[in-house]
Amino acid sequence: MEIGVCSNKNGAFIKLDPRSKLLLLITISIIMIGARTVEVEGVLRLICAAIPLVLLLSIREYKASFIYLLLLGSALICEKHIAPYTHGICNIVLMMICGLITRFVAGYMMGWYTVKSTSVSEFITAMERMHCPSFISIPMSVMFRYFPTLSEEYKSINDAKRMRELGHPFSQPLTYIEYILVPLMMSTVRIADELSAASLSKGLSAGEKRTHICEVSIRPLDVFAITGTMVMFVLFLVY
Amino acid sequence: MEKKFEIKDLITVGVFSALYSIVMFAVACLGFIPILMVFMPLLCPLVAAIPLMLYFSKIKHFGMITITGTLIGILMFIIGHPYPILIFCIGAGLLTEVVLKMGNYQSIKHCVAASAVFSLWFLGMVIAFFFSFRDAYFASILDGYGQEYVDAMKSYTPTWVFFAMIIMCLVGGTVGGLLGAKVLKKHFRKAGMA
Repeated sequence: MEIGVCSNKNGAFIKLDPRSKLLLLITISIIMIGARTVEVEGVLRLICAAIPLVLLLSIREYKASFIYLLLLGSALICEKHIAPYTHGICNIVLMMICGLITRFVAGYMMGWYTVKSTSVSEFITAMERMHCPSFISIPMSVMFRYFPTLSEEYKSINDAKRMRELGHPFSQPLTYIEYILVPLMMSTVRIADELSAASLSKGLSAGEKRTHICEVSIRPLDVFAITGTMVMFVLFLVY
Repeated sequence: MEKKFEIKDLITVGVFSALYSIVMFAVACLGFIPILMVFMPLLCPLVAAIPLMLYFSKIKHFGMITITGTLIGILMFIIGHPYPILIFCIGAGLLTEVVLKMGNYQSIKHCVAASAVFSLWFLGMVIAFFFSFRDAYFASILDGYGQEYVDAMKSYTPTWVFFAMIIMCLVGGTVGGLLGAKVLKKHFRKAGMA
């Protein structure tokens, strides 16, 4: 994953402020999980499910948006047309899986979009504007930036482990956990050291006010997004 | 706060919170298997306590574990868990802080106890099934999941299960902490990393 100073070089045609992205993310999660599937709330759910799709398309993530559409579509069809005809344990398993997908996948996709389309610099600047203290905003940005690294590390470790034919996840779960977790923990310690060395050379610990060159401001589109979420939220609470 | 935080500490907090929550999610994915669902409060802390123990060995200041708790709370809130999770996460973080402080951030015994206490935040994820949240929650999922599912879930979660889950969290956290201490001794002490 490239870590640029600003994120707008990949030519996204919808540019949102990190603050409105976060607001959208929270609203989508709350509505997708809390709302019922009928009447006004059903419409709200549809809108909330459509937002991540549009945004993913806007940063040219065609594959991700296709997978999202496929997952959500099949889960919805399954929930409405297949699951009601089953009974007992089968019904519970189907309902649980479909329910989790229809409720959580939109939020996850929105989260993925937020991580993918926001650079660390923009994120920290936006957090500063919200007067979020640095002891929350720095660990938070490190955390979100570390998730993709972690999955890369996991892939390499898993490859190395498989090459030596060690610890199959089902037949030897304990060995599997040990052989994955210990190298992951080692690389975590190492990356933490490297990052703090990098922050030292960037002068983050100097205590001066941070400067930046990326434009973080509320644009008309953000105003639209923020009022939109507000309206959806009020509708959600009223009905 | 006795000593001022350094950026290094904040980075350690971020990186280890990420590792902890990823491990948590990975184990929680097993929850798709219905029988294991009930044992999640036992299994999740059990595995996640291993990186947590390494994290504890890195903690030197007051406040780091509280920040981790807060971060996990925010993360869980963002992906859509109801607000009590924030209270649980921050509360568990503060309690853990106290336990670690008693051991002066060095004693292994206190670390194991702390990992048990920290895993209590997990209760915030299941609180929706119990007490005053119960009826509202089941009413809200009724038309999405169907009557049969709701009835089954209701029968799985009488109130005593909540207290059983507290015990499961504590046991999971303790056993995981002991495992973590063992892993640290086996792999990290020698390499000089813990």
